[in-house]
Amino acid sequence: MSARPVAIVGVGQTHHKSRRLDVSFGGLVREAVFRALDDAQMTMADIDAVVLGKAPDLFEGVMKPELYLSDALGAVGKPMFRVHTAGSVGGTTGIVAASHIQAGKHRRVLAVAFEKQSEGNAQFALGSGKGGSLGAGGAFAPFIRAYIHRSRAPEHIGWKVAVKDRLNALKNPYAHLKIADISIEKVKASPMMWEPIRFLESCPSSDGACAVVLTDEAGGNEAAAAGRPPAWILGTSSRSEPPSFPGRDPVRPAAAIQCSDDIYAQAGITDPRRQIDTAELYVPFSWHEAIWLEAHGLADEGDGWKLIDDGTTALDGSLPINPSGGVLSSNPIGASGLLRFAEAANQVRGAAGEHQVDGAKVAIAQAYGANSQYFSMWAVASSLQPFD
Amino acid sequence: MTSRDIAVVGWAHTPLVRHTEQSETRMLMDVITAAITPLGLTRADIDFTCLGSCDYITGQAFSFVSNLDAIGAWPPKRDSHVEMDGAWALYEAWLRLQEGDIEIAVVTGSGRSSTGDPSLIYPMEMDPYFLAPLGADPVTFAALQARALIDAGIASERAMAEVAVRSRGKGDVDTLLAGDYVREPLRRHDLPPITDGAAAMVLAVGDRARHLVEHPAYITGFDHRTECHNPSFRSLTDSPSTRIAAAAAGRGDGPIEVAELQAAFTHEELLLRSVLELGDDVVVNASGGALAANPIMASGLCRIGHAADHILGGGHRALAHSTSGPCLQQNLICILEGTPAEMTA
Amino acid sequence: MTRFVDSTITFPYRRSLGPVVGAFMTALTERRILGVRHGDAVLVPPMEWDPATGAELAADLVEVGPAGAVDSWTWVPTPSEQHPLDHAFAFAFIRLDGATTPLLHAVDAGSSAAMSVGMRVAPRWKGTRVGRIDDLACFVPGEDAETDGEDTGPAAEPVERMDYLASITYRNPVPASNDRIVEVSHEHRLIGLRCPTCARVYASGNGYCPIDAIPLGPECETDLPNTGTITNFVVVTPTPYPGQTETEPFARVFVLLDDTDVVITYSPVVDLAARDVRVGVRVRAVWIDDEDDGATGGLFGAWGSFAGWRPTGEPDVDNPDLVNRIF
Repeated sequence: MSARPVAIVGVGQTHHKSRRLDVSFGGLVREAVFRALDDAQMTMADIDAVVLGKAPDLFEGVMKPELYLSDALGAVGKPMFRVHTAGSVGGTTGIVAASHIQAGKHRRVLAVAFEKQSEGNAQFALGSGKGGSLGAGGAFAPFIRAYIHRSRAPEHIGWKVAVKDRLNALKNPYAHLKIADISIEKVKASPMMWEPIRFLESCPSSDGACAVVLTDEAGGNEAAAAGRPPAWILGTSSRSEPPSFPGRDPVRPAAAIQCSDDIYAQAGITDPRRQIDTAELYVPFSWHEAIWLEAHGLADEGDGWKLIDDGTTALDGSLPINPSGGVLSSNPIGASGLLRFAEAANQVRGAAGEHQVDGAKVAIAQAYGANSQYFSMWAVASSLQPFD
Repeated sequence: MTSRDIAVVGWAHTPLVRHTEQSETRMLMDVITAAITPLGLTRADIDFTCLGSCDYITGQAFSFVSNLDAIGAWPPKRDSHVEMDGAWALYEAWLRLQEGDIEIAVVTGSGRSSTGDPSLIYPMEMDPYFLAPLGADPVTFAALQARALIDAGIASERAMAEVAVRSRGKGDVDTLLAGDYVREPLRRHDLPPITDGAAAMVLAVGDRARHLVEHPAYITGFDHRTECHNPSFRSLTDSPSTRIAAAAAGRGDGPIEVAELQAAFTHEELLLRSVLELGDDVVVNASGGALAANPIMASGLCRIGHAADHILGGGHRALAHSTSGPCLQQNLICILEGTPAEMTA
Repeated sequence: MTRFVDSTITFPYRRSLGPVVGAFMTALTERRILGVRHGDAVLVPPMEWDPATGAELAADLVEVGPAGAVDSWTWVPTPSEQHPLDHAFAFAFIRLDGATTPLLHAVDAGSSAAMSVGMRVAPRWKGTRVGRIDDLACFVPGEDAETDGEDTGPAAEPVERMDYLASITYRNPVPASNDRIVEVSHEHRLIGLRCPTCARVYASGNGYCPIDAIPLGPECETDLPNTGTITNFVVVTPTPYPGQTETEPFARVFVLLDDTDVVITYSPVVDLAARDVRVGVRVRAVWIDDEDDGATGGLFGAWGSFAGWRPTGEPDVDNPDLVNRIF
């Protein structure tokens, strides 16, 4: 990978809610941007380039919103870039922002992702306005059914993840869902949405934004010297595979496996289960946690559900997954991937507050999109050589 | 700042037609094959792909997902997508190649703008509170900019008609000027055609590029900048983002032989020539530019392709421009040369 | 002869305005136009941030106009359905008295000959105002504001939301390969295209192999059986949205066609309740000859006469591993 290190020195996000009726589009993204800039002790004038990520424009009915948001993001006179890779877009935003620095072209880049989907309707947009939309979970229910069969996982695994992530969210001041009385019984009693996925096993629809300030090595060292330790990127990767062909396995997609293999190779991770302290994985429906644990080598094939069942992935376990509460607790679709990347960075910066995983030094983040076809991941650590 | 030698080694575009009967995916499939095959490459040789397209042009959310089928992404590919013209997909690929681990990238731009009415679609990219609800369309903003340029002496209706004649290789200036206004001071000839099409371009690094073609078109400068959005707040007689991008891309470092400008309106060419200081010695838009064919989301990439053709054919230095947003809000400049940029230690 | 399909995407977006745009829209209902002070300048329309730098602006709002001068204009001879007027009008940059920057709006001048740079214009207000930019119906030549129809007064509450109905119609050509699927459906047949390179058979009507990225033409056609086994499924509890057609939980199934490697994905079932859908059910394709009753699916909607799958009545196939055959 490139010789040029990239550091994350600022993270900001909005308070994610089902409807942010108090702000305009510009107001929503600026809330996250100013929090990130303040965290980085910078102003807009310090930023060289802006990368914006967002899910389909049909969600809000504003085409190419980077045009309208150029001045809101302080991008006048600067490069402004708009990526769109379905659900993984937030992750791709972080990766492309890092690429701006790794190429040596820019020194300080602002990555921003948002969704104000309450202005539209997510089911409508996902179906392009046609009747009988499958909805977000509709595409994945068959994959989950296949996973449960292959792994012989007991039915309560999904419920356990749903509870774990919402309990974590109670410790995340920005999370959307705050279900203080979340419990297995409550999840089990919630309405079936896409068999076997129940309502409380599903992600919410949120308005929200996330912003990350990335810098070059000098910027990272500056932040460290000022007592604000950065997160260092050890590796980034994106992989895509086609939506449909005979023999495709969407439960254990090749693109997912190759994406994590790639970041592990870049990062020098040879034993993911032991060397990774925590992970933020894109889990919009509870069972995805088991699926991704396996696809990304954190559990052997067929055993992902066991790490959930025995508490390994809980906040006080040996490999906490989604300590922030994850997509199950906050889901502004375009931003959700960047939130994973940002939360992973915060963990190794020791900046995750009440949902901090003690002593986290190495973390990974993953976002996926479409029919489990697009994968974006990064590995971050508290130093460039965490395994020495 | 250093950059590895990164060069355009080839490109292709579909027939650029008023409307195609092919799906966008099929257009891309054909054009990627057309771009890589003459180089002796197969899809297996492609290390990274980046696609440029727009859901609203296609009329379907996640439309780019089907476009993935055009790549042959099996085994899975390093791949990305921008909701922008392929020229920006090229920028992403150019950055990615500089990370040092890969050698060949393919970028595409595609769009079928014939399927919808641009006067109804494009207002949706304008300020959602003050402009979109008025149906403020791009031809209206272009007309307002044209008037401002005429009043400032940078353009005239005659000079605009001359651009139209030169771009399309036909017509008579006086006859065109006798036509009715479509959006005063713009006449039909001042406007771009509606075009469906796709383009694919191949980038290669260093020795690989030199192995593939005799005269790689090295990207020696590449930059893009944006301005504030609402034309009410901008000076429409200037294009500051073009100037900044050109300076950052090193436009002034040497003479330009050939320039390809994504000027969808005749007055835009006059403004861009002025801002980029392109004299009469520069061949501008020999391809006809966006006035001859304007495949939205591929139009800018085609400009870069035509500029690259000049270098691939033995020329020395060319400039390509792409733009997005009302009244040239966002501008991209790509400088291509027959010799690579100086490598610094 | 290429077939075209019109599809219209319509949605009533409901936007929240934030404090500055909200105040501007509220003022419109009061027949006032606001700008925001920024140093010595007054920006119209008012912004939350400095357009040049992105710095936050204090919401120091000040009334401008209501009259002003035309900075620049163009004539719209044939308005679109989205434009503010339904007869020829001018779009103009209007610098309202006291404003530094111009507002874009319509001028109902009657003819382009009546338009000139520097001319004075004043608002024509709609009688009923809701807090949208088109509470200003347009501007008219002269100094004096006017109101169109009975004035129903200002908004009772501060305006915080705005409606925006977006409706765009696309006219998409149907690729020949999709149409072929529809054509043979009228013969009650399913067909696939076999890739000469990798031998995979595709039944989706896309007309290409995504693995080898080559087009597959009619010479690649192969007949497919009409019978198969349900391998996987989803039962969707529908949610309401504009354009929704479903009201009860509905099933979509995956069917592995007999003696092939082909899975038909996300199809409806007929004569099988959603709650009874399960892995292993033996099914046969159902055809109906009224195209309007065809199954929904794909970019182009109906799959001709193919309506879905009906149980054959045979015993279920006892192979739980079938659930893995999603594609």
